[in-house]
Amino acid sequence: MTDVGTLVSPIIMGILLGGLYALIALGLSMVFGVMRLINLAHGDLVILGSYIAFACMTYLGMDPILSLVIAIPVLFGIGFFIQQFLMSRAFAISAEAPLIIAFGIALIIQNTNQIMWTPLSRGLTTAYSLSSFHLGSYQFPLSYLLNFIAAVVVMLALREFLRRTYLGKAITAASQDRRAAQLMGINTKMIYGFAFAIAMICAAIAGIFLGMTFPFTPTSGIQFLIIAFGVVIIGGLGSIFGTFLGGIILGLVQTLTGFFFGPATQMLFIYVIVLVILAIRPKGLLGR
Amino acid sequence: MKFLVSRLTIGNVIVGAIVIILVVLPVAGGPREWLLYLLLFFIYLAMANMWNLLAGYSGLISLCQPAFLGIAGYAVAMGTWVSIPWWLGIIGGAIIAGIFAILIAFPVFRLSGIYFAIGTLVVPEALRLLFFLWKPVGGELQGGGAGYIIKGLADVQMSTIYWTALGIAVASAVIMRIILNSRLGLGLAAIRDNERAAASCGVNTFRIKLYPFLISAVITGLAGAVFYVYQGYIEPSSTFNVKWTMIILLATVIGGLRTEGGPIIGTIIVVFLYFLLARYAGYSLLIQGVILIAIMLLSPQGIVGIMRNTRFYRAIFQLANRRLANAKTE
Amino acid sequence: MLKVRDIDVFHETFQALWNVSLDVRKGEMLALIGANTSGKSTLLDTISGLLHPTKGSIEFEGKDITKLDPYQIVELGITQVPEGRGIFPEMTALDNLVIGSYSRQARAKREQNLKKVYEHFPILEGRKKQTAKTLSGGEQQMLSIGRGLMADPKLMLLDEMSLGLAPIIVNELFKALREIRETGITILFVEQNVRRSIQEADRAYILENGRVTLSGTSAELCEEEQVKKAYFGITTAEICEEK
Ligand SMILES: Nc1ncnc2c1ncn2[C@@H]1O[C@H](COP(=O)(O)OP(=O)(O)O)[C@@H](O)[C@H]1O
Ligand SMILES: [Mg+2]
Repeated sequence: MTDVGTLVSPIIMGILLGGLYALIALGLSMVFGVMRLINLAHGDLVILGSYIAFACMTYLGMDPILSLVIAIPVLFGIGFFIQQFLMSRAFAISAEAPLIIAFGIALIIQNTNQIMWTPLSRGLTTAYSLSSFHLGSYQFPLSYLLNFIAAVVVMLALREFLRRTYLGKAITAASQDRRAAQLMGINTKMIYGFAFAIAMICAAIAGIFLGMTFPFTPTSGIQFLIIAFGVVIIGGLGSIFGTFLGGIILGLVQTLTGFFFGPATQMLFIYVIVLVILAIRPKGLLGR
Repeated sequence: MKFLVSRLTIGNVIVGAIVIILVVLPVAGGPREWLLYLLLFFIYLAMANMWNLLAGYSGLISLCQPAFLGIAGYAVAMGTWVSIPWWLGIIGGAIIAGIFAILIAFPVFRLSGIYFAIGTLVVPEALRLLFFLWKPVGGELQGGGAGYIIKGLADVQMSTIYWTALGIAVASAVIMRIILNSRLGLGLAAIRDNERAAASCGVNTFRIKLYPFLISAVITGLAGAVFYVYQGYIEPSSTFNVKWTMIILLATVIGGLRTEGGPIIGTIIVVFLYFLLARYAGYSLLIQGVILIAIMLLSPQGIVGIMRNTRFYRAIFQLANRRLANAKTE
Repeated sequence: MLKVRDIDVFHETFQALWNVSLDVRKGEMLALIGANTSGKSTLLDTISGLLHPTKGSIEFEGKDITKLDPYQIVELGITQVPEGRGIFPEMTALDNLVIGSYSRQARAKREQNLKKVYEHFPILEGRKKQTAKTLSGGEQQMLSIGRGLMADPKLMLLDEMSLGLAPIIVNELFKALREIRETGITILFVEQNVRRSIQEADRAYILENGRVTLSGTSAELCEEEQVKKAYFGITTAEICEEK
C-alpha cells in the first residue's frame, strides 16, 4: 500500500523538474518553429553550456549562474554561425542536408567536450545547489526550485521579446511567411541567424541549470535532445505555454516512474513514452 | 549466353576480378592486418549500402541502425551462452533484427522527414538502457557490467569470419541492384518525390517503405553480428552508440548519397581514415564531423558527384566501353 | 523614377520574362495588365529583388538596384503588396501593420503612417486587436495595403489586389488607391481586368507570354485596335465612353 502522502514529494519534484525540461526544450522549439529544422545538435549545445560554466567555475572560480555572462555570448555566436554559414546553405541543397549537418555538428561538439574536459562525469556543485528548502513537512533540493524559477523567467522574457520588439516580431513574421517577411524589408537570412542565436541563449541558460541539477558527460547531449524533443511533441511546437506544460508532464513521468519502479528505469520510460506519443499523435499532443 | 555477354561491360569485369582477388586473399597469404581492414570494410559497406537504400532512395533518414546491429549482436552473444553455434546466432540475430524493425515500424512510420529521423534516434537510446538492465542468461561481466563474452570462438578462423563478411557485403550490393531495378525501386522513387501523391495513386506507402526498412534491418543485423563475432564480446554503451550511425552516414555521404557506387568509395575512405586516425582516436569524431559537413555543403553528391561532373572521367569510361563493345562484335 | 531595361528572368530553368522594359514616372498610376501566367508577378518580384534578372538592368531614382536584396529595395522606398495578400495570419492586425514599418527609414514615421492607414481604411482601426486570419477577405487586402503604406514607400507595387473580392469592395480599394496616389506615392498595379485597369490608370503596359506587347497612355490604348482584338468582348468605344 502506498500512502497518498508519499506521492506529494515526487509530484512536486516532477513539476519543478519540468521547468528545467521546458527550459532545455525552448531552444529546440524555437529553431523548429522558425526554420523548420529539428536541431539534432541541440542537446550537445546545451551540454556545451554546462561545460562552459564548469570551466568558469574550476578555472576562474566563478559562480555557475554568473558564468552566464560568458556562456551566453559564446553560444549566441555559435548559433549565429551555424545558421548563417552552415544551415542557410544546407536548406538549399536537399531535405536531408540540414539534418545530416546537424548530426555532424552534434558529434563535433561532443568530441570537443570530451577532448577539453575528458569523458568523466562532471557537475556544477555550489553551496546553494546542494542545500534544500522545506515545504510543509517535505524537503526539496534548492536547485530544483532555481530551475523552475529560471524557466519561468526565461519563458516570460522570451515571450515579451517576441511580442514587443521589432526583432522579435520579425522572427515571428519570418516563421509565418518568409516571402511576405522579405517584402516587409526584413533581411530574413539575418533574422534566421538571430533566431538560432537566441535559441542558443536559451540553451546556454538551460545548460547551466542542468549542470547544477544533474551530473553530465560529453555524451549526455543525446539524452537531453530526446527529452527536449519529447517536451516539444507533447506541448506542440512554437507555443511557449505548451512547452512549459510538456516539460512538466515529462518531469512528472520521470519522478513518478522513478518513485514506483526505481530510478534505473525512469529514462527508459521517458523514451518509451516519447515513442508512444509519436505513434499516436505524430504532430504532437497539444499541437494543431 | 548472349545475356551474359551483354552484361560484360568493363565495370562489371573489374568488379568481378576484384571480388575474386578478395576471396582468395586469405588463402594466398594476405597479411593479417590487411584482412582486418578488409573485414571492417565489408561490414561497413554492407551497413552503408543499407543506409543508402533508406536515406538515399527511400527518403527514410534512419538514425536507428545501431539498434539493428546491436540486437543481432546480442542475439549471437546470448545464443552462445545457451549453446547455439555462432553462425546460427548470426542468422537468428538478423531475423530478430528484422522482426524488431517491423515492430518499430508501427510508431516510426507514422512520422515523416525530420520527425522520422528523431523518432528513430530514440530507439537505440532506449535499447541501450534496456540492455543495461536486462540480462536473461548468465554471462561474465564486461564493459558497463552488462556485457557478454561470445563463447565458443576458440577454433573459429579469421578467414571464416572474413569470408562471411565478404559474402554479406556482396549480397548487400546485389540486393541494392535488384531493388533499384525492380518495381519496388520505382515505388520508392515515387514516395520520395511526393508521398501523398503516391498514396493517392494507390501505392501502399506503408508496405513499400517497410520493405527497405526490413531488408536494411536484416542485412545491417548480419553485418553487425559478424562484427561482434570478430570482436568477441558485446556491451551496451559502444553498441547502441551514435558512433555507428556516424560511420554509416559518413561512408554514404562521402561517397555519394543516392548513388549506387557511393557507399563503396565512401567506405574505402572511411576505413582508410580509421587506419590514418588510429593514433588520434580521441579526435576521430571531430574530424569525421568536419568531413561530413564539408562534403555535404561542398559536394552533396559526394565523390561520385564530383566524378560525374568531371568530363575526363566520363570520356575515359565512354572510350573504354566503346572499345569493349567493338571487341565483342569482332 | 523606375527604369526596367531589357530584362530576362528565369524560374530555375523556365524563362518567364523575355527582354522586358518598363518605365514608371514619378507620381503616376501605372497599370500592368496581362492574362494568367503572363509573367506579371514575376516582374514585380524582380523589381522587389525576390528574383534577379539574368540579363538587363533595373534602376530606381538613378540607382542601380538590379542585384540588391529585397530588404535593401524596401529601404530605398519600393514596397510590394503581394498577390494573395501575404498577411501574417497568426499575428494581430496591428502587429501586421507595425511589421510593415520594419525598415530603418519607416520606423521613425511609424505613428504618423499608422494614422494615415487608419484614415484610408478606418475599418482596420476597429480590427487592430484581432488575429489577422480572422479578418474578411476585403479587410485582409486592406491590411496588406496598409502594411505596405507603413513602409513609407515612394513607389508601391500591388499584385492583383482585386482577386476574389466583390465588386463593391474592389471599388473601395481603387478609391483608396487614388487617395494614396494623391498623397504623392507612385503606384504600379497589376490586374487581369483590362477595362477596369485602363480606366483607373494614367498609363498601362500589356504583358503577353512574358513579353511587353503594348504600352501607352490610357487614351492611346483606347484607340488601339489590338486591345479590342486581344481582349475579346470589349469594344474600344465602350472603354473610352466610360473614361
Ligand atoms: N516558382 C516558380 N517556378 C517555376 N515556374 C514559375 C514559378 N512561378 C511562376 N512560374 C511560371 O512563370 C510564368 C509566369 O508566372 P507569373 O509571373 O506568376 O504570372 P502571372 O502573375 O502573370 O499570373 C508562368 O508560366 C508560371 O508557370
Ligand atoms: Mg500573378
